[in-house]
Amino acid sequence: MKENRLSLRFLRWFCPPALYEGIEGDLLEQFECDLKSSDHSEWSDDYKLRRAKRRLAWNVLKFFRLGIFLRNRFSNQLINTMMWGNYMKVAARNIQKRKFYSFINAFGLSIGLAFCMLITLYIQDEKEFDQFHANKNQIYRIEEKSFDTWRHDEADPYRKSAWIQTGLAPTLKEELPEVAAATRFNEGNRVIFRYGDKVFTESVAYVDKDFFTMFSFPLLQGSAERIFMDKLEVVITPAIATKYFGDEDPIGKTIEIDNNGKQSFTVTGIIEAPPAQSSLTYAILIPQENRNYYDRNMINWGNFGTPTFVQLRANADLTAFKTNLDKVIDKHMSAMLERWRKEATVPIPPDVKMLEYEFTVLPQIHLKKEVSWEKVSDPQYAFILGGIALLIMLIACINYISLSLTTSAARRVEVGVRKVVGAQRNQLLYQFSFESLLLAMSSLVIGFGLVLLFLPSFNEFTNKGIELTLPKALQLISIGLALTLITGLLAGSYPSWFLSRFKPALVLKGGFTSRLQAGFTKPLVVLQFALSAFLIICSVMMFRQMRFITTKDLGYNKEQILVIPTQSGWTEESDRVVEQFRTRAQQESQIVSVSGTSSSFSQGYSRYGFKVKGEQKSAYVYAADPNYISTLGIQLLEGRNFDPAIAADSDVVIVNEALVKDMKWTDPLNEYYNWREDSVGMGSRVIGVVKDYHFLSLEQNFEPMFLSMNKSSVGYLTTMLVKVGGDVSVGLERVKSIWKELYPDKPFDYTFMDQDVANQYASYKRWMSIMGLATGFAILISCLGLFGLAGINAVNRTKEIGIRKVMGADMQTIFILLNKQFIVLAVLAFAMAAPLSWWFITKWYMKDFTFQVPLSWDLFALSMGAGLLLALATVSYHAIKAALINPAETLKYE
Amino acid sequence: MSKEFLGEFEELVLTMAGILQEEAYGNAIVSEIKQRVGRDVNLSAVHVTLYRLEDKGFVKSKMGGATNQRGGRRKRIFTVTNAGLAMLRNMKEARMDLWKLIPQLKMVIV
Repeated sequence: MKENRLSLRFLRWFCPPALYEGIEGDLLEQFECDLKSSDHSEWSDDYKLRRAKRRLAWNVLKFFRLGIFLRNRFSNQLINTMMWGNYMKVAARNIQKRKFYSFINAFGLSIGLAFCMLITLYIQDEKEFDQFHANKNQIYRIEEKSFDTWRHDEADPYRKSAWIQTGLAPTLKEELPEVAAATRFNEGNRVIFRYGDKVFTESVAYVDKDFFTMFSFPLLQGSAERIFMDKLEVVITPAIATKYFGDEDPIGKTIEIDNNGKQSFTVTGIIEAPPAQSSLTYAILIPQENRNYYDRNMINWGNFGTPTFVQLRANADLTAFKTNLDKVIDKHMSAMLERWRKEATVPIPPDVKMLEYEFTVLPQIHLKKEVSWEKVSDPQYAFILGGIALLIMLIACINYISLSLTTSAARRVEVGVRKVVGAQRNQLLYQFSFESLLLAMSSLVIGFGLVLLFLPSFNEFTNKGIELTLPKALQLISIGLALTLITGLLAGSYPSWFLSRFKPALVLKGGFTSRLQAGFTKPLVVLQFALSAFLIICSVMMFRQMRFITTKDLGYNKEQILVIPTQSGWTEESDRVVEQFRTRAQQESQIVSVSGTSSSFSQGYSRYGFKVKGEQKSAYVYAADPNYISTLGIQLLEGRNFDPAIAADSDVVIVNEALVKDMKWTDPLNEYYNWREDSVGMGSRVIGVVKDYHFLSLEQNFEPMFLSMNKSSVGYLTTMLVKVGGDVSVGLERVKSIWKELYPDKPFDYTFMDQDVANQYASYKRWMSIMGLATGFAILISCLGLFGLAGINAVNRTKEIGIRKVMGADMQTIFILLNKQFIVLAVLAFAMAAPLSWWFITKWYMKDFTFQVPLSWDLFALSMGAGLLLALATVSYHAIKAALINPAETLKYE
Repeated sequence: MSKEFLGEFEELVLTMAGILQEEAYGNAIVSEIKQRVGRDVNLSAVHVTLYRLEDKGFVKSKMGGATNQRGGRRKRIFTVTNAGLAMLRNMKEARMDLWKLIPQLKMVIV
C-alpha cells in the first residue's frame, strides 16, 4: 500500500462507520489520480508520491468537521425543550393539588438541606482555622513528647503536650539557624487591673516581642518593631481600651496591674481582637518577663509550663530542625534526663528517649486533638454532625419516594395519555425528574432561610462564631444547589422510573383497582422509622446520662456556695482575706460559713508526684482550713478535722479513701504520709479519712487526694468558699456589700459552685442539645411521612372499608385493620435500631464517663413505647376518619 | 415545504448529482464541478453537503459495486429524489419568474 496509513486510521477513528467506506473510496481515488497525474511530467515519481500523500493527509484533515463526526451521534435529541413549559405547568398544578403532601416533602427536604448546609459551614469553619496568618506555613508549635511514668499505658506510653520549658524559646532563637523568630504564649492568667476608679480582674496573655511580627493580628496603633522594648508595656484590644479609657486615646496611658505585686504598665499598642477562627485568643498582652517566677523558670529545664511558637526561615529543612532540637535537649537537659531515667519507677526501655520535641505547623493545631489546647477540636465531631445531617436527609428522601409512589395511582392516567399521544419513556422520566427537582429547588430556598434562622443557635451549640458573609453565602448556595440536584435526582429517580413504566393500554382501559402494589415503600418506612428510633434511643440515653451526672450525689454539698477568688495572689495576704471575711461574716445571718481553699472544683487542681518506699505515687492536693469539711458537707469517716488550736496541725493531712487504698494502709490514723519525700522526718501525720467525693469530673474515677494546711508546700487560700443560707440572691448581695466594705480596691468576682461543676459537662450538654434537636426534626419529618402514607393507605382502602362496614364491621375492627401493619413496621424498625444505637452510644458517648448510668431494658422499652405511641397517634387520624365515613358515600359509585 | 430552501452550494451539488445520474458520487461531483463551472471545491464540503441533502430528503444514497480502483472500496452513489427534482424545478422557475421582472436593459453606444 502506498497511501498514508496514519491518516486513514485517523479517518476511521472519527468517521461514523456508515459513511466510512464511501469517503475512504473517494479519498483513495483522488490519491491514485494524484499519483498518475501527467500534468507535470518534469516531476519525479518519488515527488509525486510524496505530494499525493500530503494531499491525502490534508483532505482527511478537512473531513474532520462537525458535519461528519457528529453525524448520527446526537441526531435525535430527546430533551424536547418544547415540552418544558408543559412540564412546568403540570408540576405546579400537581403541587397545588396535593398541598399537604407537597408540604410534607418540601418541609422534610428543606430541613435536611438546612442541616446539610449548616454542617458544611461547620466543616468549612474548621478548615479555615488559623488560615489568616501570612506566615502560617512557617510557624510551628513546639510540643513535648516524653515517656509518661505516671500513666503506665502500654499502648501509648508517651505524653504529648504543648506546654514546654520557659527557657526554650530564647534558646532556640539563639542557637538554631532555622529559627527566625520565636514567641511564648501563656494566656488565661487572671490579674487585677486598676485605672482610676475602675478595678476589674482581667485575663492576660504573656507573649514575646516576636508575637507581633510572626502572627498576622493587625496592630491598630503602635509599631511591631518598637513594642515590648520595655518590660512594663501592655498591648490591649479596642474593647479593653474602651472599657478603661472610654473615648480617650489609650496610647501612652499608664495602668496599674496587680499580679502578686502592683506595677504600672504603659499602653504602647492597640491590637485587633483575634477572630473566632484563631487558635490563639487574647484580650491583653504583656511581656513574658512579667510572669511569676520568670527568672527561676528560665533556668529550670524541668518545669514545663510555657507554650512556644517558632517561625522557621522560608527554606528551613525540617529534618535538620528536628535533629537540632535533639541537640538542644542533649546540651541543656542530658544530665537531668539521665537522673529521671534512673529514678523512674517503671522500667524505661533503653531505646526510648525520655524527652523529644515535636512540632506542628500552625494551621494543623486546631484539629490535632492528641495535644490539648484551648480551642482544639476533634475531627470526629464533623463526622457525627455530618452523619446526623445525612440521616435527616435520608429520612426526607424516603418521605419523598414513598409519597410519590403511593400517590402515583392518581397519575397513571396522565402517564397513559402522554404515552398514547407519543411521549417516549425518556420524556416521562425527564418530566418526573423535573418535578422532583422543582420541589427540591423550592426546598432549597426554604432551607437557606432556615440556615439564616438557625445559625445563631447553631453557633451556640457548636461553640463557634460562624458569620454568613456574602462570599460565604454564595458558596453555600452553590453547595446547596449541588446537593439539591443530587437529592432531587436521587429521590426522584425511583418514582419517575416507576411511573414511566405503566403500560398505557392497561392504564387507560380503566379496569384497574384503585390500590397500588408498591412493595418498595414498606422497607423504606421501616428504614425511616429505624433511623428515627436510633436517634430517639441515643438522645434518651444522652439525656439520662446528663440527668445522672447533674443529680448524682457528689459526696459534698455544692448548693448555695459562692466561689470567690481572694484577688491577693499566692501570698499570706490571701489567708488574711479569708480570715477577715470570716470574722466579718459572723455578724451576718445570711452567711452560714466561710472557708478557704487553693482552688475550687473544676477550676484547676494541683497534683503531686513523689516516691514512697521506691514506689511512684501521685495524689491531688487541696489547701484547706478547719472550716473546709463542714462548709462543703464532706463526710469524715475516721479521725478528726483540722483544729486551729493545735499548732502541729499546720503539717498534718486528711486523706480520702482512695488514697488509703492506694497506700494499702489498714490503720490510716497511725500512718504518716511522706509526700514531700522528707529524708529526715516520716512525713505528715494522717489525722482523718474522708469518704470519697467527686472533686474531679465524673469522667474520672476517685483518685488519691489529701487536704493540708501546710502553707509553704501546698499553697495559700486563694479561693474563698462562702455558703449562704436562705435566698441566694439576697445572700449574694450581702456578700458583695461586705466585700466592697472590706476591700474597695479589689474586684468582686464570684461564681456558684453548682454552676462551675455543671460547666464541666458543657460540651456534653451541647451534644445532647444537638442530638435532641436532630431527633426532634427526624421524628417530625418521619411522622409527617407516616401521616401522609397512612392517609393514602386509608384512601386506597375506602371501598374495602365501606364493604366491611356494610357487612357489619364496627369501628374498632376497622381501626385495628388499618393500624396493624404500621405497628408491625414500627416494631420491626425498633428491633433494628436498638442494637445499633446501643453499640453507638457505648462506643462513642458513654466511654468518656467513668460513672455511667446503667443501660437497662426499660430505656429501650420506654423509647419504643414512645415511638409506637407517636406512630399510632400519627396514623390514627386517618384510620378514625376512614372508619367514620358513611359506607353509602363510598359505595354509591360502584 | 415552505421552510425548506437550498443554499447556493447545495443547489450546485444537487444539480451535479442530477447531471451525473448513476455516476454521482463524491469525487465525480468534485471533478464535474471543476470541469463545468471551473470551481475548485473541497471533497469534504461536497460530502457534508450531500449528507445534508440526504437528511432533507432531496437525495438518497446506496453503495455501488466494488471495483479494482479505489483500493477496492465501493462508491456511495447519490440519486436525486422526486422531492429533490421538484425542489430544483421550483427554484429554477422562481428564478426565471424573477428574471423576467428585470427590465431588459439595452446597451446604448453613444
